[in-house]
Amino acid sequence: MKTNIPGKWDLEYDVVVVGWGAAGTAAAVTAHDQGAKVLILEKMPQGGGNSSVCGGNIIIPKGKEFIEYLDTLSFKTTEREIIETFVEYALKNADWIRKMGGDVQVFRPLEVAYPTMIAGAGFPKVLGADTVVKYNIKGTPEEGKPSQRLWKFLSGLVAKRGIQVFTKTPAKELIPNAQGEIIGVMAEKEGKKISIKARKGVILTCGGYENDPRMKWDYMPVKPLMFLGTPGNSGDGIRMVQKVGGDLWHMTRLCCLIAFKAPEFEAAFWVSFLSEGFFFVDKYSHRFVNEAGIEVHEYYRELSHFDVEKMEFPRVPLWAIFDEPTRRRGALSRGTAGYNRDHYSWSLDNSLEISKGWILQGKTAAELAGKISVEPKVLEETLFRYNQGCKAGKDEFGRAKEDLRALEPPFYAIQLWPALINTQGGPRRDKEARVLDPDGKPIPRLYAAGELGSIWGYLYQGACNIGEALVFGQIAGKNVAEEKVWG
Amino acid sequence: MDSMLLDERNFEVPASQERVWRLIGKVIFSSLPGLERMEILDENNFRGLLRIRVLGFQVTLKLKGEMLDVEPPDSFSAKLYLEGPGGMFEAGQKVAFTMTPIEAEKTRVVCKAVIEEIGFLPGLLLKGQARRFARSTFEAIEKRLKELA
Repeated sequence: MKTNIPGKWDLEYDVVVVGWGAAGTAAAVTAHDQGAKVLILEKMPQGGGNSSVCGGNIIIPKGKEFIEYLDTLSFKTTEREIIETFVEYALKNADWIRKMGGDVQVFRPLEVAYPTMIAGAGFPKVLGADTVVKYNIKGTPEEGKPSQRLWKFLSGLVAKRGIQVFTKTPAKELIPNAQGEIIGVMAEKEGKKISIKARKGVILTCGGYENDPRMKWDYMPVKPLMFLGTPGNSGDGIRMVQKVGGDLWHMTRLCCLIAFKAPEFEAAFWVSFLSEGFFFVDKYSHRFVNEAGIEVHEYYRELSHFDVEKMEFPRVPLWAIFDEPTRRRGALSRGTAGYNRDHYSWSLDNSLEISKGWILQGKTAAELAGKISVEPKVLEETLFRYNQGCKAGKDEFGRAKEDLRALEPPFYAIQLWPALINTQGGPRRDKEARVLDPDGKPIPRLYAAGELGSIWGYLYQGACNIGEALVFGQIAGKNVAEEKVWG
Repeated sequence: MDSMLLDERNFEVPASQERVWRLIGKVIFSSLPGLERMEILDENNFRGLLRIRVLGFQVTLKLKGEMLDVEPPDSFSAKLYLEGPGGMFEAGQKVAFTMTPIEAEKTRVVCKAVIEEIGFLPGLLLKGQARRFARSTFEAIEKRLKELA
């Protein structure tokens, strides 16, 4: 193996953790508590990553039947023994949080939004679905959204232990020795390259590739895809692992909502509706789905239809059409999750976004059609059919009657895109969180956890990314701390 | 002041208890007249504005709600705090819903609203209005639940 071992290391630690979110924290804290001297490298000015801007829920299942549920959802893309290990630890996620000085509360959402974060299983008909219970860090709204409380708790664990964190310090390369062991990291701090010796090993927890346009175009099943989370996730860990011969898995997997993209913001805004009065149309003003029946994390499935005659994704972007009561009911982007939450406050009646031109309005369907450049007659016909379905209580796309309300003028439209909460792909790993090569052999002293090569290989159950970050962060931290010091 | 019953309504819905439970949240929010600028603060708390007519005038009230005692699929209650324009008056109500199965596809729903906190003068002025508001909201909930069942 080609090596680039520096003659003299700039810094020495037992363990180097690359990326500071939930997985990085669980890994660093676990390794530290086992006596390791730990350094965390974070490329952004602050830690948190997607963990601090996501829904903030943590899976803590009710029983071992959760293994069957996840095994079904994985569609054989993840070895059962990995799922078993995950569930064994996930059952104790609350104990771990309490041991660390925090506490949890059951997530019981007001299920009044479309789409909504539901309390239970995303796939309720699958065996074991009744074991799904989501929790978040205990607290009140005044103490922040669930992910803000999560990050306050996690970052506090690092601060309390005095674990060294370098922010604005991206890792650039892993440093292998001649035997292929990962013995250090090359990073960039204040414009200078620094070499950091990792006497026991390196843990990669630096997220996915939501903000890497080329990787997204290569791997994702729908194009283009915006992102809702941190702009810091740009595939760094994937490239570093590829350079040292690591295998990849789950690269086409994603967790995807719908969002509005304003040109002046890097990330997109998650959009949902607080009233039944709305529907979606494609580029040609045709409805295509039961808008209220989509599993919130799996939106891309409805949007990834590709028209081989037109050579396009006709549902990307889509338009949401709604009316005055929906416009007045509440903000279309509510700040529950997403990077923009801390950078923009969406107006409660959406009036500011109308004045910005983000939301378009028309006194009639024909006028609105002109503004969104679609055929007026088609939009009028689509609206007529939707309203007829509402009156009859029978929707042509199977939307339940409690989810229907006929629209009345004036009308509004907002352009929506599929938008990633996170990608799931990255280095293939085993149940010990060891990164594997294409032959299935562990790359010595290299571990990974969290969204970077998560174990979610097919359907995604909400709250499992944070649950998984905590679980495999702990496993990676424990195992790396038990490595013998090299050299 | 002691709590005071505003309204109680008791009706049957031709649907299973589970179905009624699944519907009740959405039905309540869609039955609140003139609910605007709604914010979901977390799983148990929300706030918004209610535009209603009081003594013939259009009034905008600040509404804050907190879910209490959520026991799916049997019951839940919520505390609602209402504040008049410029803090002119404040009132605290407790609203409780119970859903009891009668048969496989029939459920009894009981809605009850009680005023818990209100000043003396606003109490005198607005008691009747609050009662009418609770009654019309419960009527709308009953109507909508029966439509959807």
